[in-house]
Amino acid sequence: MNSTQLPVAIVKGVLGACRSRTVLLVAGLASVLLWLGVPTELLAAVTGSPPAAASTALDGGLSGIAAPELTAADYPSIRGVNARVAVWLVAQLHLWFAAFVLAVPIFVFIIEAIGMKTRDKRYDDMAYEFIKISITAYSLTAILGGLLLFSLIVFYPDLFSYLSRIFGESMFYYALAFFAESAALYLYYYGWHWLQGGFRKWLHLTVGLVLNAVGTTLMFLANGWVTFMMSPAGVDPAGLFAGDAWTAMHNYLWNPINLHRFIANIAYGGSIVGAYAAFRFLSATRPEERAHYDWMGYNANFVAILALLPLPFAGYYLAAEIYAYSQQMGITLMGGIFAWLFIIQAVLIGTLFLSANYYLWCGMGRSDGAARYHCYIKYLAIAIIGSFLVWFTPHTLVLTNEELKALGGPYHKYLGPLGIMPAKNTAVNIMILATAVSFLFYRRSNRIATVSWVKAGNAAQLALYTAGIANLLFLGIYHGYFTNTVYKVAASIPQVMTTLIIIVVSITLDSLMYRGAREVAPLNWGRVPNRAQYALFLLAVAFTWLMGLMGYIRSGIRQHWHVTDVFRDASPDAYTPTLGYAANVVSVGTIAFMVLVIFVFWLSQVSGRRTPSEGFWKGAAG
Amino acid sequence: MRHFLKVTIFSLLMIGFFAGFSNFGIPEIKPAPPPVIEPLDLTAMTPERFVSLGEKLFKGKGTCTLCHNAVGGRAPLLEQSALIAGERLADSRYQGSAADAQAYLVESLLEPSAYVVAGFGKAGSGDTVSPMPSARAGSIGLSDVEVDAIVAYLQDLAGVEVTVAIPSGAEPETSDQETPDAPPRAALASADEVLARFACVACHKVSGEGGELGPDLSRIGATRDAAYLRRAILDPAAEVAEGYPPIMPMTYSGEMYAGELQLLVQYLASQR
Amino acid sequence: MTYQRLRVPRLAQLVLVIGGTYGGFWLIFDLWLGQPIPRSLMGMYMFFVVVGVLMVFTATEKSTGQLVGPIRALVEDPARRWLRNVVFTVVPALAALGVYLQMQPSDEPPLELRSIHPAPPSSVKIFGKRYDLMSLENPYRHLEKDDPEQFRELVAAGGEVYIRNCQYCHGDKLDGKGPYAQGLNPVPLNFQDIGTIAQLQESFLFWRIATGGPGLPKEATPWISSMPVWEDFLSEEQIWQVILYLYDYTGHRPRSWGHE
Repeated sequence: MNSTQLPVAIVKGVLGACRSRTVLLVAGLASVLLWLGVPTELLAAVTGSPPAAASTALDGGLSGIAAPELTAADYPSIRGVNARVAVWLVAQLHLWFAAFVLAVPIFVFIIEAIGMKTRDKRYDDMAYEFIKISITAYSLTAILGGLLLFSLIVFYPDLFSYLSRIFGESMFYYALAFFAESAALYLYYYGWHWLQGGFRKWLHLTVGLVLNAVGTTLMFLANGWVTFMMSPAGVDPAGLFAGDAWTAMHNYLWNPINLHRFIANIAYGGSIVGAYAAFRFLSATRPEERAHYDWMGYNANFVAILALLPLPFAGYYLAAEIYAYSQQMGITLMGGIFAWLFIIQAVLIGTLFLSANYYLWCGMGRSDGAARYHCYIKYLAIAIIGSFLVWFTPHTLVLTNEELKALGGPYHKYLGPLGIMPAKNTAVNIMILATAVSFLFYRRSNRIATVSWVKAGNAAQLALYTAGIANLLFLGIYHGYFTNTVYKVAASIPQVMTTLIIIVVSITLDSLMYRGAREVAPLNWGRVPNRAQYALFLLAVAFTWLMGLMGYIRSGIRQHWHVTDVFRDASPDAYTPTLGYAANVVSVGTIAFMVLVIFVFWLSQVSGRRTPSEGFWKGAAG
Repeated sequence: MRHFLKVTIFSLLMIGFFAGFSNFGIPEIKPAPPPVIEPLDLTAMTPERFVSLGEKLFKGKGTCTLCHNAVGGRAPLLEQSALIAGERLADSRYQGSAADAQAYLVESLLEPSAYVVAGFGKAGSGDTVSPMPSARAGSIGLSDVEVDAIVAYLQDLAGVEVTVAIPSGAEPETSDQETPDAPPRAALASADEVLARFACVACHKVSGEGGELGPDLSRIGATRDAAYLRRAILDPAAEVAEGYPPIMPMTYSGEMYAGELQLLVQYLASQR
Repeated sequence: MTYQRLRVPRLAQLVLVIGGTYGGFWLIFDLWLGQPIPRSLMGMYMFFVVVGVLMVFTATEKSTGQLVGPIRALVEDPARRWLRNVVFTVVPALAALGVYLQMQPSDEPPLELRSIHPAPPSSVKIFGKRYDLMSLENPYRHLEKDDPEQFRELVAAGGEVYIRNCQYCHGDKLDGKGPYAQGLNPVPLNFQDIGTIAQLQESFLFWRIATGGPGLPKEATPWISSMPVWEDFLSEEQIWQVILYLYDYTGHRPRSWGHE
């Protein structure tokens, strides 16, 4: 019930606020002030009179901040609103938009730099188009951030006051940094056409760099609060927090989350830009417009895939650190009910890979020279689909009684081993390699290499991939079947190294081979089927949904704790929701996000439209 | 607009597919609800109940079995821990300050790094730092009594005598364990009541009166100490007095409250 | 691609590839390996196979045209009205039938996630005593070498115990096909199979026999195994004897940590 009211309320609020650019600016500033004002007020209130968190220090000394022990009565409720779902949705929407507004400037900065280097104005135009979208999305992010703050204060006042006692300082700096972020963004956007050419362009690019640096700092600060709740630092065994804000922030999972979120943001930005380009392509009428948006979609997809490839490895790092922080949390993460979440994740990531590859295959149609490679597509598809099937084969099979009888027990002799890590790691690595091959084919589609060692080069490429895949399979099979349980995960690092080395070497080799290559057929931007645009859409939808799902598990592994092992969640919602329930909340959130993003895109188009108003204005010549 | 609708429908279908798979494609497992905090009543604590409380804590709130199990190989198995605890004290790698086996066990729960079994230390620490958290800290957060209960369970598991002091009606503590099902009877207040309630005099002579199936206890304090008496009540089969049949019931450890046991032992030990 | 030579219509190729993959799964797993893929998983497998095949078949404009062409013609071509009416009747009817069959109530109990042969506890209380399953050994096993005659007697005694108590379910050939086996789920274990007692230590058997279905640990919930708690009916000696008999009759050797 609440979940549907919220987005409506947001849309209404935004519609009301965003009538013109100036109002928008005021709204943005107001939301910044909101960020600035509320925490400090609250801080004053909190430091003035410590709330129910009566110090439980045994010696009676004030040696730290104690976590309050709450009961269900300490959680205010509003009739008809589920507090947890409300905070969950608002936080997730805020995070999606935050990822979007952090990612787009990174994307824009890279594109602008490329444009400056190549002196290709298309890049500059594309970058500008996106920073324009970013402006609207930015104010939405701030509004959602304010909403999140209010819902936390309303529904979880004790948690919020506890966190603000610990993080008071950093919350203040966060608000200041938000100011700097706004200033840099407005300067970057409104100064785009003013700061053109030569030194001025350099200056503009520097503003872009500052914008990104401040944005990333903002994210790191917020990550500190979140990771403190997962892996609190500076808390003594009695549960008293004795450190300063930096101790709390520099906790165990801070850097792993920073890295993971940073890389994921780039990929996410690429996928959203890709969806935008896909939609503009579909609704474009003029050929040059189609060519422009096709080209934009291709570049966005490229950035998304490039960032997607190292993401599983950042994920391993994060999971390994969670294990190192607390074995208990690690087991909660990988075993029990969350084990099935990783099957859902496999389906989602598989979808990402499939749609990215499909987009590349369809894109080969831009050049007539690609026909030479069409016959290989089916082998790539077999490799990707085959790996995908291995990847989402669960460890525990769901069997009917007849099947139980037929198998003679719940263990499947041949599919069982596919359920464990070595098989899955192997599958993911092969999928990544197949994607790299798709990309190579795409690169070659309109050209023929002219260097003298073409044959040797192709043979070397073939040998490289064959040897690499053989090595992956060997490592996977060896560690999957012939070693002790303890070593089952040990294969992942050599496998990752194999994959990375192959990709780097083969792309280097290929670019050397195709230096000065002859073009067989021109690359016709815009000559791409509509189907491919839907693949780009799917990329964005799947990415958004996946982020929501992983947000649920990141928060869910704390179980019934606000702050792991320190501050117990005593609210009626302290239980862990089922996967299905979480998936439904994530779906509602994704739809709400999509609606808001469509609104943002639409706004950016509206600003360019002019309606003739002859005869309306006094004295104006028609 | 046509494309807009198509894209919208496509996106909704895809979201529907993801949600559908999560709801129907995988088995729906309801996670266990968070543990409930209920007061633990120690007034009716018998040695047997104390051991079984320890077992519950070991498998439940203490989360010990998460690592100390036969499957994962993450931590040493504890079946023999109470037996070998004494040997550990003499080990050159022992860092702690415990004086006896029981103190060692308590210490191993509170300061796991005092002695790390070879091969189970934190990676890179050379078996000097244990990956185990203190049982008092954080999410486990056992109280002193609960730690004692676990030690009692470990002692019972290894088959050695339970030497831990069993709480006898102190102030109620909070614990995540539910209280025993049957409403406990009120604790008896004097040794005479205990003797009457458990019908000791049906077999034994106390102060010159009673049966003759068991040894005369009128002057038992002169020859036996309190520790012997305590064990003789809790585990009669351990040592049967010469010339008497081994017929004393084994059930007292489950029926007699710790406070009552103490009263009885003190009383008997004073009979000289 | 071989379609230039064979001239199989694209649509038929699509159906053939999908059907062929399904048939291939069936041939390999059901027929050859005898380990069918569970239906829940097969559904997901085939879903993604169909997605993958469609992706390959629509990757190029030409191929897409060949695939979509006949379908479009069927829908739009006035000359094919008759065929269209048939298809438009049959396809929804088939779909309806499929839904009907799926929604049919069945006597199949709901699916359960349970492992029937879970990891044993490290120690267990049987006959009022605590046994350490890691070090527990069959007290009669040493007689196999030390006193073969007495060993044969014990095996024979174990056979007697087996025939009186166990064969009703596990079968007189120890193949899990006793007279009552058909009525049981999970099915009684086939001791002849190399994957059962040959993989286990005697202490594991001792635990499983003595505590039966109700003695299964938590991960094996729900406890629907109908194996009785034999410690209530047999003596410790009888259980060890019947274990000797199981290995003797099947010719398997118990697993032991000593040889590894």
